[in-house]
Amino acid sequence: MIIIGEKINGAIPSVAKAIAEKDADFIRDLARSQSEAGANFIDVCASVDVSVEMETMKWLIDLVQDVTETPIAVDSPSAEICAEALKLCNRPGLVNSVSMEGKKIDLIFPVIADTKWECAALLCDDTGIPKSGKKRLEVFAAIMEKAKEYNIDPSRLHIDPLVEMLCTSEEGINIILDVIREIKKQYPTIHVTGGASNISFNLPARKFVNQAFIVLAMSAGMDSAIINPLHKHMMGLIYATEALIGMDEYCMEFIGGYRKGLFGPVK
Amino acid sequence: MAKIDDVKANVEAGKTKLVPGLVQDALNEGSAAADILQAMVDAMGVVGEKFSTGELFVPEMLIAAKAMAKGVEVLKPHMAGDASASLGTCIIGTVEGDLHDIGKNLVAMMIESAGFTVVDLGVDVSASKFVEAIKANENVRLVACSGLLSTTMPALKETVQTIKASGLTGFKVMVGGAPVTAQYAEAVGADAYAPDAGSAAVKAKELVTV
Repeated sequence: MIIIGEKINGAIPSVAKAIAEKDADFIRDLARSQSEAGANFIDVCASVDVSVEMETMKWLIDLVQDVTETPIAVDSPSAEICAEALKLCNRPGLVNSVSMEGKKIDLIFPVIADTKWECAALLCDDTGIPKSGKKRLEVFAAIMEKAKEYNIDPSRLHIDPLVEMLCTSEEGINIILDVIREIKKQYPTIHVTGGASNISFNLPARKFVNQAFIVLAMSAGMDSAIINPLHKHMMGLIYATEALIGMDEYCMEFIGGYRKGLFGPVK
Repeated sequence: MAKIDDVKANVEAGKTKLVPGLVQDALNEGSAAADILQAMVDAMGVVGEKFSTGELFVPEMLIAAKAMAKGVEVLKPHMAGDASASLGTCIIGTVEGDLHDIGKNLVAMMIESAGFTVVDLGVDVSASKFVEAIKANENVRLVACSGLLSTTMPALKETVQTIKASGLTGFKVMVGGAPVTAQYAEAVGADAYAPDAGSAAVKAKELVTV
């Protein structure tokens, strides 16, 4: 399971405060602790006014690279910002994200084509967030056409099928699970990703919904997630699920994760 | 009049299957259609309040609105010619560059439940499209603009200012969305701000009662 550590995001009040007060240690701690918890990418999202977004991204990226070599996921709704920010990274990371909206893909794909940069792609286009599985797969097909055009191997892409909030969806996540399975069937080496907490928005006891979602999505083929790697219970569940679906020979990763204390103090 | 109280309680509880029958009972008992409608509007007011305080969750708001909608269907033939029952038209949309709509849809639902006629322009709506909609619709009393991304805040500002500069009158402008604050709303020239769907409906009623 590819873990994209989500903690450095200006949408989180404590991070917004650190950005406003230039609390460098706060950001460095978040980078360090996420790396130590096993994150494969550290997501960096400024979530500030567009006039100061680029300088904030630079400040954040510099701080992360001060303390860790874990690759960075540059995160912005603006493709222009992503394209600029990736130049600040010492090693190839992940662009978070493109979609079929506007010119995002045509801006980003050529920039990353001859590099090792990976890229998250959301299944939405200029008509909005898809309401059906069929529409999601249509957007997926369009994205893969572009990937072929720019020669980007599927293994470098993380497809986010845009999970609806459970509280407003009528059939649970069954449609999304079908979409995930279909995506993996068409391109076995592609990655499927998503946020683990959008699903439970505006329900009580959110953690149960988030965790059950991750297990179900993983069994359908999700192999990448934007989560809080410091959440030990969730990490334990992810490692256990991976072993259960046959992705962890002799349960070595699971046992290793336990010994490293990634799951917290358990028996 | 016990039945009308049952209608209110069951809308609050989201009892979609029971409300139509209870509305009919209330009519049979002699309650006026307008009074029954008001009872349902009051029920949604309670629901909105409880949602704002975190006591109720989105699904409970949705089924309450559904229950009210079922009740309104029963009332319709008895409210013929009562266009004045509407508090006015509310134009709502998510601003240009932003595709998020779930919050906006909840606000639209709650404002409609409060007694407005809602015209939902959808997502990624340009400032000029808002202005066109105000011109094209009757009795526009409220325009509501939503944005979730911090990067579309400039579009929110432009939308509010374009609407205000259009020369059109007779309505108030309300804004909302995760990155929006009361201070930001004031700074861009909006008349009001609400943090969630429940308080948006309350604010909407306040704005047209001035």
